[in-house]
Amino acid sequence: MTTTSLDAPAPVRRPSRWRTLGWQLLGLAVLLAVWWLVTDVLRLYPPYVFPSPRAVWTEISYGLWGSGPQDGRLLAGIGNSLRRVLVGYSIAVLLGGVVGLLMGAWRPLRETLGAYLTGVQSVPSIAFVPFAILFFGLNERAVLFVVILEGFIPVALAVSGALMNVPPALRVAGRTLGAGGLALTTGVLLPSAVPSILTGLRTAWSFSWRALVGAELLVSASASLGAQLEIGRNTANIALVIATILTIGVIGGLFDTLLRALETRVRRDYGLEVTQ
Amino acid sequence: MTRPLTLLALSTLLLTPAAHAQGATSVRLGFFPNLTHAPALVGLERGTFQKALGGVKLEPKEFVSGTTLTEAFGAGQIDIAYIGPGPAINAATRGMPLQMIAGASEAGAVLIARGDSGIRSYKDLAGKRVAVPSLGNTQDISLRHILKDEGLKAQTDGGTVNVTPVAPADVLAAFATRRVDATLVPEPWGAALEAQGHRLVGTEKTVWRDGAYPTTVVIVNTRFAAQNPALVAAFLKAHGEAVAFLTSKPAAASAVVNRKLEELTGQKLNPRVLQRAMSRTRFTTGLDLAALTEYAALNVEAGYARGATDLTPFVNVGYQKR
Repeated sequence: MTTTSLDAPAPVRRPSRWRTLGWQLLGLAVLLAVWWLVTDVLRLYPPYVFPSPRAVWTEISYGLWGSGPQDGRLLAGIGNSLRRVLVGYSIAVLLGGVVGLLMGAWRPLRETLGAYLTGVQSVPSIAFVPFAILFFGLNERAVLFVVILEGFIPVALAVSGALMNVPPALRVAGRTLGAGGLALTTGVLLPSAVPSILTGLRTAWSFSWRALVGAELLVSASASLGAQLEIGRNTANIALVIATILTIGVIGGLFDTLLRALETRVRRDYGLEVTQ
Repeated sequence: MTRPLTLLALSTLLLTPAAHAQGATSVRLGFFPNLTHAPALVGLERGTFQKALGGVKLEPKEFVSGTTLTEAFGAGQIDIAYIGPGPAINAATRGMPLQMIAGASEAGAVLIARGDSGIRSYKDLAGKRVAVPSLGNTQDISLRHILKDEGLKAQTDGGTVNVTPVAPADVLAAFATRRVDATLVPEPWGAALEAQGHRLVGTEKTVWRDGAYPTTVVIVNTRFAAQNPALVAAFLKAHGEAVAFLTSKPAAASAVVNRKLEELTGQKLNPRVLQRAMSRTRFTTGLDLAALTEYAALNVEAGYARGATDLTPFVNVGYQKR
């Protein structure tokens, strides 16, 4: 869809992908150089407060492919955390989709539940962990509960909001062409709401991911990224803490990039974003 | 009018560190409200420390785990502390300026299982949830060693035993709500759980080395000690008096400990429970370097540190002899 119409947004000139990557790599190099300068060269902080990039890299390499006692914990942690967030996020998307559809279809539900959900969303996920522990115990279900709770709200709000924001003209056109009730929702309203829903899915992902790490920090049952943070803290191993923070950031960023690419593609297909 | 006052206040703040360098005006002491820290409790309750320090003010700070104490120590907010050998060794080997200058207690940790958990021996821990005060602490390291001896593993290491951190004071509630099946816990919490009808599975002797292992040691900030050697020696003299009181007059000492524990935790223990807990704990000022070295090896085995560490530079009993 490269056609431009009068009311389409003005075309945006994008810098080449390689150029962007080049700048990003340069930024990373500068960051590493400053870090190395502050820690290894100037020694502004003791290593138990702010470790050098080398110490952090050592923890990452031991955690991923080391061969000493208990090495490879980071890899096991990534596996467990990813499994949890994928299960939790999938449930959250399904649940949020259903609740969002119901809220979009029925005004009283939208005006009651919708308002409450916005309130719940403003509570930091970590605040629900003590309750989850009492309710489910010190186990994976407590972690999943928090992940699902955090993930399903943005999806529900996005779906119901997207349905509300469908241009009335489309609704009228659908009705005129004979679509009503379920057919109108699935054939007209939902397809036109897809771009907004995708934005909701991306928000839900980042919410779920953050909720997961927060919950794992308090419920450190099996190997996980949260447990890694707790172990690093307990053993005065700040290099391990930073290595884990980096891992959490990289994984979160990778998934966000994937979802963003999907979103951009869909927006382009819908003619909402025009590129040259 | 206010400006000179503000300046005065500011200059006082700025000058305080300098004053510290010439000779401390206060000693910031870290400890936990556990029986294994009884010399600290006794020294505080009877005023022994303050008397020994004379005009220098003692500032006691209470912690619930070695983790938070280590963090405060690393941030330079603690001068002398009672702490388990696990966190002390970890902090020292990561480069924190600390030395172990005396022992405080040995043994004093037991493995208790919930009465209805079906756990009768270490082997039965398979598939169960076991609480330790915090991951990487002294009891956690001991537990992982016990598990290894039994051919078991923690879930974090790919096994079946769910090792979970629960603060000792919260363990009674965790047992009551069936959140954990067993715990390796320092006294007096072990004796308190036993008094509630839970089962003693591992005594202080079967946990490790027939009970001949340090549970609490006294650490000092190396820079603080170098600048205030006399203060450190005076503190250790008071520490020695507290240990002597605990060993020579256990009944009187347990009453003192109980008063301080009640003040700190809001729970008064049954004197019989406390006496039982005391009988499982040995108070001493001695530091066993061989046992500490074995601890460091267990720490490596548990995956919390890498490579053998020579602990000799981190142990300094010289201040006790001054």
